[in-house]
Amino acid sequence: MRIAVCSPQVPFSHGGAEVLAEQLVDELNARDHEAALVTVPFKWYPGERVLTQAFLWRLLDLEETDGRPIDLAIATKFPSYVVRHPRKVVWLVHQFRQAYELDRTELGQFGESPEDRALRRAVHRLDRETLGEATRLCAISRNVADRLRRALGLEAEVVLPPPQELDFRCDGYEGFFLSVGRLDRAKRVDLLLDALAADPELHVVVAGEGPDRPRLEELARRHGLDGRVRFAGRVGREELADLYARCLAVYYAPVDEDYGMVPYEAFLSEKPVVTTTDAGGPLDVVADRTTGLVCAPRADDLAHACRFLLDHPDDVRAWGRAGKAVAEQVTWDHAIDRLLA
Amino acid sequence: MKVAYFSPFPPERTGISEYSELLLPALRSRVDVELVSRGGSASRGADVCLYHVGNNPDAHGWIVEALRKRPGVVVLHDFVLHHLVAGLTLGRRDGEGYLGAMQREAGVPGRLLAHGVLDGVVPPLWEVRPEDFPLAGEVLEHAAKPGGGLVVHSRYVAERALASGYDGRLWRIPHPAWPAPGVATAGLDGDPLVGCFGNLNASKRVPQLLEAFARLRASRPSARLLLVGAEAPGFDLAGRLAGLGLEGVEREDYVDEQRLWSLMAACDVCVALRSPTMGETSGSAIRALVLGRPLVVSDTGWFRELPDDVALKVPVDEHEAETLAGALELLAANPDARVAMGAAALAYVAREHDLDRVAEAYVAALEEAAGGDAVRDVVVGEVANAAAAVGIDDPSELAARLNEVRLGG
Repeated sequence: MRIAVCSPQVPFSHGGAEVLAEQLVDELNARDHEAALVTVPFKWYPGERVLTQAFLWRLLDLEETDGRPIDLAIATKFPSYVVRHPRKVVWLVHQFRQAYELDRTELGQFGESPEDRALRRAVHRLDRETLGEATRLCAISRNVADRLRRALGLEAEVVLPPPQELDFRCDGYEGFFLSVGRLDRAKRVDLLLDALAADPELHVVVAGEGPDRPRLEELARRHGLDGRVRFAGRVGREELADLYARCLAVYYAPVDEDYGMVPYEAFLSEKPVVTTTDAGGPLDVVADRTTGLVCAPRADDLAHACRFLLDHPDDVRAWGRAGKAVAEQVTWDHAIDRLLA
Repeated sequence: MKVAYFSPFPPERTGISEYSELLLPALRSRVDVELVSRGGSASRGADVCLYHVGNNPDAHGWIVEALRKRPGVVVLHDFVLHHLVAGLTLGRRDGEGYLGAMQREAGVPGRLLAHGVLDGVVPPLWEVRPEDFPLAGEVLEHAAKPGGGLVVHSRYVAERALASGYDGRLWRIPHPAWPAPGVATAGLDGDPLVGCFGNLNASKRVPQLLEAFARLRASRPSARLLLVGAEAPGFDLAGRLAGLGLEGVEREDYVDEQRLWSLMAACDVCVALRSPTMGETSGSAIRALVLGRPLVVSDTGWFRELPDDVALKVPVDEHEAETLAGALELLAANPDARVAMGAAALAYVAREHDLDRVAEAYVAALEEAAGGDAVRDVVVGEVANAAAAVGIDDPSELAARLNEVRLGG
């Protein structure tokens, strides 16, 4: 089957959604399909630009290319699912969250003017039409599927995406916690730094790059965390695998995250995950005191959780192994089987 | 966002005043609402107006006058507005206005008919043929203007509005359900006790109900029929009962809210019939569903849209009374079916008529109306400029694509 995998791109930025789309193309091609990545730059500001940029997808003709039909389009995150295709499968990574659960939060985009309010509603209408016309609707997590049902009344089958391929292994349990992900406010790395300030024996490596880095570095300075936190920046695949292999546990507690590959990557390295009760998608996979710890999103609670792991190495090992068993069940064979069903 | 809210309110005794009394607190918890009093107008600071329009000229005449001055979102509680329009025209000695409304609706034949009404040679159309001449045209025209839109409660009214040429924004927002009242059940006999709530008149099919109940009563002497509501002038219930030799009918006139719930809770079956329909939603039927009462309704208008597992539907035809009697007998003989219908009713109300969800839908509609035109203009303008810049001189495909995803208007 000839399959177009549709994913927007934010130039000079590369995150989990992009990795997922690229992997999907690779995995489809490895299974005798002919898959290609179709991508269009996306800029969501100012004002109505979110709609005009999304509309670009609607103008694409993906029914055939070079005289040969494209049998299937698989769209991923907003706004790629605005694309037209007679057989459009949506594997929803996320909608434009600023128009939904992030509205009227510090992470929101729309103000209180009638125009801004109407703009947000126009995104809803666009979603309702373009997701509603999909021949098959899947979501990458229960959290994303639940949001879709709450916001638009649409039902999606949960199809979990496997994590990226790395040299996952466990080389031991050194005394540091690992944070992996783009550095923006929603990833809530500042909470981890606040926890470090509350317990002088905690050490952290922060892997990732992003616009929040200056603020986080300043916060670390203010907390006097020199020597206990290392900002590693964007790390390569080998270094990332090495960090996973050596850390004690992984911190991952974004605000109401869609899904997040990080817990599965941690599990495949036999590392437990520390997350928070409001983290969203990670709660689908991180079971408290089974594959990690789930605490309230407060610095002192997080510090206590990290301290517990420092003091209980047997639990760390057991929960890491339990996590690995969970992660190994999420396979590309299953995901592709469901997407093409 | 500030909403100027136009509606009758209690103590006015209309279904729409009760509707607004229910909706307003939920709406106020989400947006800034200014209530406009009878004869008033929206303040300058209001971003959007919300006009509740029904068929009663006394309750809604002033609201239509306000709508004429400033467009806004119209909640069309009845599709047939003939009585309202007659009140706004003939009721104010504006014969020409009535002629114009009829001509707008039905062309020259309509105008000729209206002349007949004015001359007294044709009976009042709002009494004898309102459904043939709904006269919703002017209200729909105002609703279609920029900054406006149309809220309807049923697919039936949505389809009729579109069929009449309405091309503005349209939202279907179900009638909200009242919270379960938690009142004591009235102590009434009857096995079964059949209840009918609302004004007693011909369009509520009370004559047919009486005939059907007489049949039920013949086989079930312990059956009782509870009729709650004011009797329409000239309806002559007593004469009808005497004519049928019918006993077992309990009467209560207009009752207060608590008593209404209490009486309804005592019923084994509630009946809500309507023909001709003005397109309205029945508050009584919604209340019965809230209480988990099995319903028997007419197979018309909004009532037809009720799920089959919560309501038995009676076609309005020459067998109406017979079919209705059969439905009542079926429910009387099947307590299990009544229980199942009651459970389905509760689930349906929670799913379709949840007050919070209704209020959210109103906020969405109001936000779209208040700022949607500006958003559309920017989007269409930007796309048009881009197309022109690359020499696309036939924008029809672009327009089609914009409309597909509802960005065109």
